[in-house]
Amino acid sequence: MSTEANRVGGIWRFLLACWKANFASALEYRLSFFLLAGMMLLNNLIWVFFWQLFFSRFPVVQGWELRDVMILWALSAGGFGWASVLFGNYGRIANIVSSGQLDVYLSQPKPVLLHVLASRMSVTAAGDFLFGWLIFAWVGDHTIRGFLLFVAGLLLTGLLFMGLMIVVGCIAFWYGNSEGIAGQVFNSFITLTTYPSDIFRGVARTLLFTVVPAGFISYLPIGLIRSIDPAFLIAAVSVTFGLMAAGCTLFALGLRRYASGNAITVRQ
Amino acid sequence: MRALTTHGLSKTFKVKRKPEGLSGSVRALFKPEWKDKIAVHSIDLAIEQGETVAFLGPNGAGKSTTIKMLTGILHPTSGEAEVAGFVPWRDRTKLAFRIGTVFGQKSQLWYHLPPIDTFELISRVYELTRADYAARQRDLIERFELGPYLHTPVRKLSLGERMRCEIAASFLHRPQLLFLDEPTIGLDVVVKQRIRELIRERNRREETTVFLTSHDAGDVEELCSRVIVIHHGGVLLDEPVERVKRDVLSRKTVRLTLAEEADLSGMPETAGVDIRESEPGRLVFSVDLKRIGIEEALNAFLGKVRIADLTVEDPPLEEIIKHIYGSQAREEVRS
Repeated sequence: MSTEANRVGGIWRFLLACWKANFASALEYRLSFFLLAGMMLLNNLIWVFFWQLFFSRFPVVQGWELRDVMILWALSAGGFGWASVLFGNYGRIANIVSSGQLDVYLSQPKPVLLHVLASRMSVTAAGDFLFGWLIFAWVGDHTIRGFLLFVAGLLLTGLLFMGLMIVVGCIAFWYGNSEGIAGQVFNSFITLTTYPSDIFRGVARTLLFTVVPAGFISYLPIGLIRSIDPAFLIAAVSVTFGLMAAGCTLFALGLRRYASGNAITVRQ
Repeated sequence: MRALTTHGLSKTFKVKRKPEGLSGSVRALFKPEWKDKIAVHSIDLAIEQGETVAFLGPNGAGKSTTIKMLTGILHPTSGEAEVAGFVPWRDRTKLAFRIGTVFGQKSQLWYHLPPIDTFELISRVYELTRADYAARQRDLIERFELGPYLHTPVRKLSLGERMRCEIAASFLHRPQLLFLDEPTIGLDVVVKQRIRELIRERNRREETTVFLTSHDAGDVEELCSRVIVIHHGGVLLDEPVERVKRDVLSRKTVRLTLAEEADLSGMPETAGVDIRESEPGRLVFSVDLKRIGIEEALNAFLGKVRIADLTVEDPPLEEIIKHIYGSQAREEVRS
């Protein structure tokens, strides 16, 4: 028991040290840090302005109101934000694998996937995370229940982003350079998480809850925040943890096929 | 005690072959051709704790691939290995606590942070206690003379300073066995010398086993007690450095910059001296130290040339390896 507690404690201390190093590394370029984070915040706010204009003409679309769309944006940006700040390499796995950058992680005694994920902090994502909380402060439910549901939504969103991208990134172990497909999946996923899921019908809706499972994020404002829909919630949690488990398994299997490389690499 | 053993360790990569040109690319898209490339072919090694071993071979001989298998980075295609009592690819995490790695072209230091921050992170990676880390850090900073640039971001350090930090970082957790892949690549003579001294000191003080690949004969001569040469993925030679020195490293290359053009046409041959290049203003010859001393060899040219400058160098490692291949081939013919 105490050995396991020591192991978990060691991993936490290691993660904290990684995050501290990432943050210190980002602060090496203070102006760039604040500009990047600030620009992302501004970029998101422009979309808020756009949706406000839209809902001033059409107050209800398929049952969705302005508040729901704002919460959707808060969850999508906030979830993406925390995942990218704390585990910023999840979208770069394909590149890291295909360019042989795993060597340093493999030569050190920490779980490789966790080490890879925690070794980068996305600076722009700090703006996304802040944006999420600003929107919650504006239109969110400021009760303890509302707060907890919002935090749960953020957690699910971030984990879903990571799970999907780890699975897609692992393709690189089998097919070499899969950065292109990883980039495409990421872009379509992030775009689809910012549109109300109920505007999609038929095949598009099926795809939204299967191939590109953005629907499990874009339905959160209705199925979790407005009122808890148990069936949706069970499905969302299952898909999220299923993807994470699949990602970890594929990564472990992929390591057996890892071919390294001779590229000169540095840790940023 | 054995630090490392391998038996029949092999690694084959599947490499895609693309026919030439655009039409070849299109064909490869629908019907890709794959070829097996043998990187390492049935290597047997046995290295004792505390040994310093140079693992040599020309580019593409399989040196880095072998190191990557021994450190658990790559899984072998076949064969067995035990490093510090562990099978590297099966017990990678446990093994990583016992070994250190320095890859000349893959930095473990964080590029935008000062080395001290990476040291702190590494202490967490290897789960050192705070007191142990503080003492160890003090010792390495002092011995590696890192004080002046400990707080400077790595991107602003010279290559030599970075490599010193890189090697110090790899010693932080007191590895039993240190793998170094081209640690002196691109460094000047003075820095190379210092790095060799520091590694040698750690080997003596902590009995760290050193397993090193290099293209520099100086690394082998000054740092290692044993040489293993591989070629086409297999072991070609495994001998003490002293013996290799006697047989191969006994040659030095002398480069003379001449003050004026020299005519060496009538000069008699000197036993042990082999003229490699003779151009206006430049003369390069190799000296076989088993047969003649440097001074004696230079005497042979005095009066015939006017020397403006002079350097004495080890022969390039490629030349040494070529010589070893030659000897090996001759022995095979004889047997």
